[in-house]
Amino acid sequence: MTRERLRDRFPKGATRRMTQLGLLIGAALDDLVPRYDDAVVYATQYGETRALEGYLDSFPAASPTLFQTSIHPSAVQQAMITRQQPVGEFFPMTGRGHLVAQAVQTSLLSPAPRVLLCGGEERGTWLLTRGVASDRTFAFAVALTAEPGGALGRVALRPEDGTGGATEFSLPDFFEALKARQALDRPVGPGARLILDWT
Amino acid sequence: MLPAAAVRLEAAGCITGLGDTAATHAALLRGERALALSPVLGAEGGELVPLALGGGRNLDETAPPNWLPLVQRLAAAIPAYEWGSPTRPVFVTSSNFGVGSLYAFRRGGDPGHLAYGTPSLCVEWLARQLGWGSTVTTLSHACVSAHLGLTLAARALHAGLAERALVFSFDFISPFVTGGFHALKILNAGFPAPYADRPTGSIGLGDGAGFAVLSRDRGEFTISAQSLYNEMHHFTANRADGAGFAACLGPVQAAASGRRLWLKGHGTGTLEAGRLESAALAAAFPEAPLVSWKGSLGHSLGSCGVVELALAVESIRTGRAPGTVGGVAPCFTPQVALESFSTAGHDGVVCTSNAFGGAHAAFLLTHA
Repeated sequence: MTRERLRDRFPKGATRRMTQLGLLIGAALDDLVPRYDDAVVYATQYGETRALEGYLDSFPAASPTLFQTSIHPSAVQQAMITRQQPVGEFFPMTGRGHLVAQAVQTSLLSPAPRVLLCGGEERGTWLLTRGVASDRTFAFAVALTAEPGGALGRVALRPEDGTGGATEFSLPDFFEALKARQALDRPVGPGARLILDWT
Repeated sequence: MLPAAAVRLEAAGCITGLGDTAATHAALLRGERALALSPVLGAEGGELVPLALGGGRNLDETAPPNWLPLVQRLAAAIPAYEWGSPTRPVFVTSSNFGVGSLYAFRRGGDPGHLAYGTPSLCVEWLARQLGWGSTVTTLSHACVSAHLGLTLAARALHAGLAERALVFSFDFISPFVTGGFHALKILNAGFPAPYADRPTGSIGLGDGAGFAVLSRDRGEFTISAQSLYNEMHHFTANRADGAGFAACLGPVQAAASGRRLWLKGHGTGTLEAGRLESAALAAAFPEAPLVSWKGSLGHSLGSCGVVELALAVESIRTGRAPGTVGGVAPCFTPQVALESFSTAGHDGVVCTSNAFGGAHAAFLLTHA
């Protein structure tokens, strides 16, 4: 379904070997029209789950294609290689409860004029039944820049003192907040508070 | 790409198939090779391929992972600074994390392996084992992973978010990764000969783990001109004109102007990438001797940037850089150093790594 729905967003024939996550990330990034001087920050906890499952199942005759596809950060590479889009900085990140905070911090520390912060997950099959994969498929991409003109919103990460346990904020929850244009003002990691408001 | 600001390197160390930093460096100077022919799928057999496993460990994973003692031994050498606290963040970089455990689960069915199988589970477990706090950032971009950790650590220091930063890299091989590279026909029965101009290329794979402690103002060495570039041209091939290599080296070349350098290249043993890489380095840094140590240690994947940084530091400290062990003449360029050489008279080394997808990374290492 995803492949059929998004086929026209990519060069002819390119989607045949792309994963679900690659298709979704690629479509999301496409909307932002990546530029040479952008930085890309990519956040995912599980990465290419279906390719990983397929590769593990291919043994003892290991599949070279599935091996290649399973290597992080395949999803973004699938999209940008398909479109031949070089970029200077590319920070693929992984993690769990603090991944959002870390990805936002990485984005804010970049000197690039624009940072494309993207991320997502792919629903697993047998890895999901074992509790080590996402139970949903989703992707997002936002363009962050210091230029306020035309901005949809504002994001900030504020250091804060705290002696209590750090609050976790998951990637799916961040996706939902972006999708719903939900304002955020909350701890998201050790000593970090995320502010997200919309114009 | 705007290079990251300079930072001081306070400490660095590694562990490889030849032992710790000093042991590995000494063995490389003797021209020893850690790689040995081993079945590509471990206990399940297969073609014999060059692998370098650390500390007598097995390719087949255990639960908990059999590389934990090696990591603990390495971690004992890290200066103690309350790592993982907000002002002493840890940047973990790897390509494989615990994927060997996922492989072991799928092949053997023991669910005990799953606790280490995903990057987040693996790193969280490791952080508990090593007594780190929760300020741990995890990066994974194949063979340039370590460079990304160094770059982010430098930025955190300069933004005032950290007093010191620890970059910790690890990659322990398993049938998951050996099977994959073998299926890609890059890992075969031939030993790697980095930068050798010969009919066929091949790589070896090796265990590797390393650390680097960065600060703004303490340390004997400086890491500067950190540069990154991503061709996004092809998954397994570079642009034929070498433009990707040149784009990454440009900022480093500018920063290193006037210095007499040597070069620690990526040099895995593949042909086309090695040809392009050595040509780009020769163009950017004429007459600088070029070495790669992967012909001995194997390619340690996501950890290679920090592992080889530690060995470069050891080379400067001891006054002698190992040559390209496993390399053979003729080489792609006359700059390739097959034999060890004195680092006296050189006032810096450029360290580079490359990865699938046309990813490139480089930095300049000098005395502070």
